[in-house]
Amino acid sequence: MGESNSSFLELVGITKKFGDFVAVSEIDLAIREGEFFTLVGPSGSGKTTMIRMLVGMDQPTSGDIRLNGELLNGVPANKRPTCMVFQSLALFPHKSVGENIEFSMKIAGMDPARRRTRANELLQQLRLPLDYYYKGVNQCSGGERQRIALARALAFDPKILFFDEPLSSLDYRLRKTLEKELKDIHRETGKTFVYITHSLEEAMVMSDRIGIMRDGRIVQVGTPNEIYNHPRDKFVAQFMGEVNTIDVDDAGGHEVCSKADGVIYKVHRKPDGFKSGHLIIRPEIMKIGRVASKLPNKLKGVVFNDYALGSRVQYQVRAPNGVNWLVERLQDVPFDGKLNDTVDLGWRPEDSILVKD
Amino acid sequence: MKTAGSSHIARKLIWIWTYAVIVFLYIPMFAVILASFSTQRYFRFPIQSFTTKWYTKTLESLSVRDLLWTSISVAALVTVFSVLLAFFGALAFARYDWKGRKLYQRLVLLPIFFPQAVLGLALLLWFSALGITTSWQTAVFAHMIWIVPIVILIMSIQAYSFDPALEEAAFDLGATRWQVLREVTLPILAPGVISGSIFAFLLSWGNFPLSLFSTGADQTVPEWLYAKMVSGYTPMVPTLGSLTMSGAVLMLLLVYLFWLATGRRRRQAQNSVSSDD
Amino acid sequence: MSKLAGWLKNPGVLAAAPASIFLLVGFAGPLLMVLGYSFMPSKTFALNSVPTLENYLSVVSDSYYISFFWSLFLAALTVILLFPICYPIAYGMAKLFGKWANLVTAFVAIPLLISENIRLFGWVLVFLKGGILDGTLQSLLGVSASGLLYTVPAIVLGLVYVYLPFMLFPMVIGISMVPDSLKEAAFDLGASRWQVFREVELPLAMPGILIGAILTFILAMGSLAESKILGGQAVVMIADDIESAFTFAQNWPKGSVLSVMLIALSGLIVFVLFRRIDLDQIIGRR
Repeated sequence: MGESNSSFLELVGITKKFGDFVAVSEIDLAIREGEFFTLVGPSGSGKTTMIRMLVGMDQPTSGDIRLNGELLNGVPANKRPTCMVFQSLALFPHKSVGENIEFSMKIAGMDPARRRTRANELLQQLRLPLDYYYKGVNQCSGGERQRIALARALAFDPKILFFDEPLSSLDYRLRKTLEKELKDIHRETGKTFVYITHSLEEAMVMSDRIGIMRDGRIVQVGTPNEIYNHPRDKFVAQFMGEVNTIDVDDAGGHEVCSKADGVIYKVHRKPDGFKSGHLIIRPEIMKIGRVASKLPNKLKGVVFNDYALGSRVQYQVRAPNGVNWLVERLQDVPFDGKLNDTVDLGWRPEDSILVKD
Repeated sequence: MKTAGSSHIARKLIWIWTYAVIVFLYIPMFAVILASFSTQRYFRFPIQSFTTKWYTKTLESLSVRDLLWTSISVAALVTVFSVLLAFFGALAFARYDWKGRKLYQRLVLLPIFFPQAVLGLALLLWFSALGITTSWQTAVFAHMIWIVPIVILIMSIQAYSFDPALEEAAFDLGATRWQVLREVTLPILAPGVISGSIFAFLLSWGNFPLSLFSTGADQTVPEWLYAKMVSGYTPMVPTLGSLTMSGAVLMLLLVYLFWLATGRRRRQAQNSVSSDD
Repeated sequence: MSKLAGWLKNPGVLAAAPASIFLLVGFAGPLLMVLGYSFMPSKTFALNSVPTLENYLSVVSDSYYISFFWSLFLAALTVILLFPICYPIAYGMAKLFGKWANLVTAFVAIPLLISENIRLFGWVLVFLKGGILDGTLQSLLGVSASGLLYTVPAIVLGLVYVYLPFMLFPMVIGISMVPDSLKEAAFDLGASRWQVFREVELPLAMPGILIGAILTFILAMGSLAESKILGGQAVVMIADDIESAFTFAQNWPKGSVLSVMLIALSGLIVFVLFRRIDLDQIIGRR
């Protein structure tokens, strides 16, 4: 993790329009040297446009991109000290694994012996067998192809490595393995990684910092913990997955009241100048059963669905006012209720999140 | 899982029908080969006696040599120029996205969906209006009008499955535009270039309607065959016909063997994005 | 102006330029000339006269409409005959033959690379009086089969023979675009095999079938060699008339008018077709 807080890659006022359509609007961002930064957002949020501008495949309509203070705007992609791992990986099918990895070095005119040495180093670093050098890329498995693509990019020795959702086409298990490997490689090489994905979960595993994008703007930037525990608005809070949301108005002191039915809930902290907004309660921090009956915020409801999720069980509980609550409980926490039972639900004020409109 | 409803009998029948049609396609060609060995001046079946004297006569004939030379020259030049134009034309057709592409696609396909004889005659008008006498060189031009679109189509089929990210990746890794073309684009599109070349050569070699009106005083093999078929028949007609057929088949065979020999890596290149494990 | 300059720098435009310029000069140019000549007085050889419609009118008064009729009729007949001939094979190639499909493709395509004159001549040898058919029947059964050549059926055979691949290959592409899962779903919903064919397979394969049909129709309509080699004087196709007008009769304007009418007819059909079809989808499966 980079110790210096100097802005290594700086974006100021970046805007990109395609005709009348604004894909990216007034983005300011400062990425630190050596960090693993991920841009997260749903499809259409502009993240692919962003990364293409950073790599040099597109030019911003307005705004500056600076690397260590130097303007990158007009510099074409093949002259930038950056390299990208493409979504389709774009491995050259007519070249062997070794030739793929060596490509940038061959272009730069490095002699074959040195290229070979470096390629072998990278094969080892990426945990690929050395005899893969002559292998055809199409004969390699999905996970291996990812590593070859990464090795090829690393061979370029870029200052920044960009990733365009490379893992999205893989199955769950492979993805989980590669996420952790990517994090290890990042630590080993110490290079700056800029990654884009639509999965916040994936970003949380790997990143030092995350930037959430929506409709061409950056909504929040922070560490995974900050994003998760202190989302700035409803969108970010709901981006992670299913959450319970109540629209509330300020009710003075440590209280807010539900807009729908006036019920008062206790909160721990309110954002400055809070007048109205949303109370977010994640299913996993809600308690169900006897444990809940002692909590400051509680209600009763009927269990009408349960889902086994492996290590957790999720319940849908319907309150008398018709609102459905989602609650999760770890398997080893005791609970003796079942379907159609009336149960207590509750949470502690400090576990809930309050965001403004 | 086999398609529901395709019974075993239906499949057998379809195979039998296909065989029958293929045999049907090759009947006339065997007839020509057969006739080339008949001693008689005018073709009569069953053949009374066989000979190879017509082959000797044909191969020794100076006028036949002229014909072959004309046909080959035209076909060779057509191939070279067509492949050059069509390589870029195919990239524009299938690979790049640009304003006017749809119109361009239609323009390119038009000469294919067009009566060749009329095209030949129109070109004849064109040449005389421009004061150009027709000869085998104008025939090259005429052939290309029809053949360039065909080669573009053939290469486009290949170009469509070409992942644009490959060129971007090469560029991103530091290559100049020229290096990208040489290291990535050309090698991957090579199979299309080769099949396009073969088609260009053989289609030009066997073309009649366009040659008829654009060769002027020169004559290609198909023109001569037609003239002799209509009047002045000689057994050299089936002989020369057999020779040109064999030439074409031989050429295809050689290319096929060459393709087999170098095929391993190239076959991998057909699927640039393969499945994961 | 900078918009034009920007467009010119697009790699697609640059790549398209050589072929486009070539086709505009070599294809559009001559056709425009033909159009121009069609309005010139009869038997002139330059474009410097006052435009006139006399050639267009004479097409009606002379009996050129007979040639047009024959060309249209024979072309339509060819397409109609080729559809049932090719469909089973196309179906096989798209769905049944598996890895053998490529071999079948090769066998069907190779004759295309051999001059059609030679191939049609082979049929002459088969149907000639004293030829392969006649000779075999005479020696085996004592029956004669002369008089088969230089007839309309012989021309139709020639057309069907030559244009079979042009109908077949687009059909293969069309049929291969029909996912098996759709047909299975239709079965599952109670349709009979004929109904599945009519409701699911045929409509979805239609773009490919149409391309094959139109290509065959236009090429057959403008064909010359089949009717001359196999049909002799039995039928005069429009391309034959055009050729005579240009060469024998030395009447360029007349030949131009006939050409214009043939092109207009072909062009109309093609134009209507291409409106309804997305080429990228068919050729590129995008």
